[in-house]
Amino acid sequence: MTTTTINAPGPVSRVRNAARANWLFISLGAIALVSLVRIVTDTNDLTSPGTIRAAIIATCPILMAGLGGLWAERAGVVNIGLEGQMILGTWGAAYFTYHSGSPWIGVLGAALLGMVGGLLHAVATVTFGVDHIVSGVAVNLIGAGVTTYLAEATFTDLEGGGPRQLIGLKAPTDVTIPGVSDAALNLADKHWFFISDVASFVAAMTTRISLLSLAIFALVLLSGLLLWRTTFGLRLRSCGENPQAAETLGVNVYRYKYVAVLVSGALAGIGGGFLALVASSGFSTNQTNGRGYIGLAAMIFGNWRPGGLLAGALTFGYTDSLRLRDTHAVHSLLLLVAVALLVLVVVRLVRRQVAGAIAMAVPGVALLVWFLATDSVPRDFTSMTPYVTTLFVLALGTQRLRMPAADGKPYRKGSAG
Amino acid sequence: MRRLTKLSAVAAVAALALAGCGSSDSGGSDGGSKPAASKDVCKDAKGSGPKIGLAYDVGGRGDQSFNDSAYVGLKKAVTEFDGSCVEGEATDGEPESAREDRLRNMADAGANAIVGVGFAYSDSVNAVAPDYPDVNFAIVDGFDPDTKPNDNVAYLTFAANEGSYLVGVAAAEKSKSGTIGFVGGVHNDLIKGFEAGYVAGAKAAKPSIKVEVSYIQESDLKGFGDPAGGKAAATGEFDKGADVVYHASGASGSGVFDAAVEAGDGKWAIGVDSDQYLTATAAQKPHILTSALKRVDVATYDFIKTVNAGKPATSYTTYDLKNDGVGYSTAGGFIDDIKSDIDGYKAKIVSGDIKVPTKP
Repeated sequence: MTTTTINAPGPVSRVRNAARANWLFISLGAIALVSLVRIVTDTNDLTSPGTIRAAIIATCPILMAGLGGLWAERAGVVNIGLEGQMILGTWGAAYFTYHSGSPWIGVLGAALLGMVGGLLHAVATVTFGVDHIVSGVAVNLIGAGVTTYLAEATFTDLEGGGPRQLIGLKAPTDVTIPGVSDAALNLADKHWFFISDVASFVAAMTTRISLLSLAIFALVLLSGLLLWRTTFGLRLRSCGENPQAAETLGVNVYRYKYVAVLVSGALAGIGGGFLALVASSGFSTNQTNGRGYIGLAAMIFGNWRPGGLLAGALTFGYTDSLRLRDTHAVHSLLLLVAVALLVLVVVRLVRRQVAGAIAMAVPGVALLVWFLATDSVPRDFTSMTPYVTTLFVLALGTQRLRMPAADGKPYRKGSAG
Repeated sequence: MRRLTKLSAVAAVAALALAGCGSSDSGGSDGGSKPAASKDVCKDAKGSGPKIGLAYDVGGRGDQSFNDSAYVGLKKAVTEFDGSCVEGEATDGEPESAREDRLRNMADAGANAIVGVGFAYSDSVNAVAPDYPDVNFAIVDGFDPDTKPNDNVAYLTFAANEGSYLVGVAAAEKSKSGTIGFVGGVHNDLIKGFEAGYVAGAKAAKPSIKVEVSYIQESDLKGFGDPAGGKAAATGEFDKGADVVYHASGASGSGVFDAAVEAGDGKWAIGVDSDQYLTATAAQKPHILTSALKRVDVATYDFIKTVNAGKPATSYTTYDLKNDGVGYSTAGGFIDDIKSDIDGYKAKIVSGDIKVPTKP
């Protein structure tokens, strides 16, 4: 998760290849690690297809919120209104799905409603220069309030509806790839080292996976390409790094900021729509339950990069679904995190970063002792698992966070002087 | 710049922590028979009978659960006794004084019967009641927080463990796999009572039964409003071989029903508080075996009736199987074949032959 390749010498393509090889290596290592812990602790639920399926569902809304945050902050606007935009999205998805009969129209409706929340934030922060945090908090409050009002006004008399909910919405299509799915499920059931874990992942990706989940992962990839591989993306990011310089080069900073915040709201709205359509088949008020904030945190600890925020959202989604499915597995998770930290310690030592190594060795050893000395994790701790694990993994994994230089700073047109 | 980075790191940690605390939804996971109508009985009722104040918990009217059920009782009482009423609703995270003010406002407005919905009103009623000796108070699921008795307060409690016992019997007898499940909203004493009764009933009917238990949240009340969490927890239990899952998780329950639908034919879910077969979607209905009932509407109505009759109820009243304050539903007809068995256990509980535990 470290982005040390930025400092590596040599031509860009070599850096990129090295980065790719690095990611591949890290992923394979991670799978091997999880597999080892699974076998040592005899907790097959750690990588069962069911767990991974649940993890994907838990990840998607957080991922969308985080991606929304990425768009806004890369253009220099801090968007803590994601939660409010997500809540607006839940209503939009329910309303448009119910009245059109098509969940995809519902997803568009969710994006639209989220975009309205984004527009509010953009008008306040970009046009009127309101403090980003103040405006974001306002968007959260307005989002929750408006949604409660709209639900009561529009869902009360519908079939399956009530002043606070609308159930029985049509979900986006699930897809199963026949041959691959069966073979992978079979293989996953064998509980072999490494192979079964990979098979579990393949099975989860090919069995009854919602098209909306796939679309969401595609959106992450698309966002990464748009923001880092196109002129449009370069200009947008320049507004977040140095809007004055961008302005002198003829970039219409206001317009880029508006586009970024609108897209941000739309993505958060889709995240809310996912909650109402896929994660459960209905709308209920305030069902986002703070997922917008989690997305924002995943994005920050993911170092304002798509790959990092994907890792953050996956960590959170995985641990959250694991603790819901199997409290016993949380105990195995202790070992997993401990071993992962100790591996990082070794990496640090090889790089001669002694201070960093010690900082990781302490919690690593503590967790290991905790694992060895106990048989189960106290219930009070299990519901904290996702928060604590995400904090540990990302805070210790990413040592140097670098936010866009002009993120959250007010910008007025003509201030380049 | 460095300050900003630090600030944002602090903000991120705060965001994690805040999300961890989260917002809380209605404390109760309890219910009535049908979702409340959108029409407001208190707007039109101008009768000369009892004037009733109904103070809802967080979530308020329209939660298709606890608060709605109290409203059903209120509506019945207002129509029957030609009374009038005022309503108030708690907001999330409000201070204790706000609850007291709400009760005082109702009393000052002339209400002579005031019902607080949910145990969260226990302290505020205890503080307010002595100042209004002529007003009768009641708290659904309430308790007296101190040793000084209040002679104008009624505590309406439910033996939810007894209703859960009966659906536990139904679950065990309907299970083909030998494994059943339980999903609780929040791991508190109230919901543990549901679990204890359910497990005891299942073991009584089939001693070899295996029960998978999970809770959505440990202490955070948002566990009652998280359908996605309910679905993940229930899916986990179905994956482990359970074929009947009982939930006591308020609004999260719709996720549990979804999980049963996805798990396929022969997989069941059991509703809670109200007859959830009646409010479920067409896809969910074939999977809702039964529901454990908790008649908040009966309790609310009964209390107002005693006030109207001039002999207001005080102290503790427990609604249990004996007085039909709890029970199970048969809508859908899925348990018609084992109804006599369940009623056999019911008779034994009523007669005292079976003592249902309140703690797992």
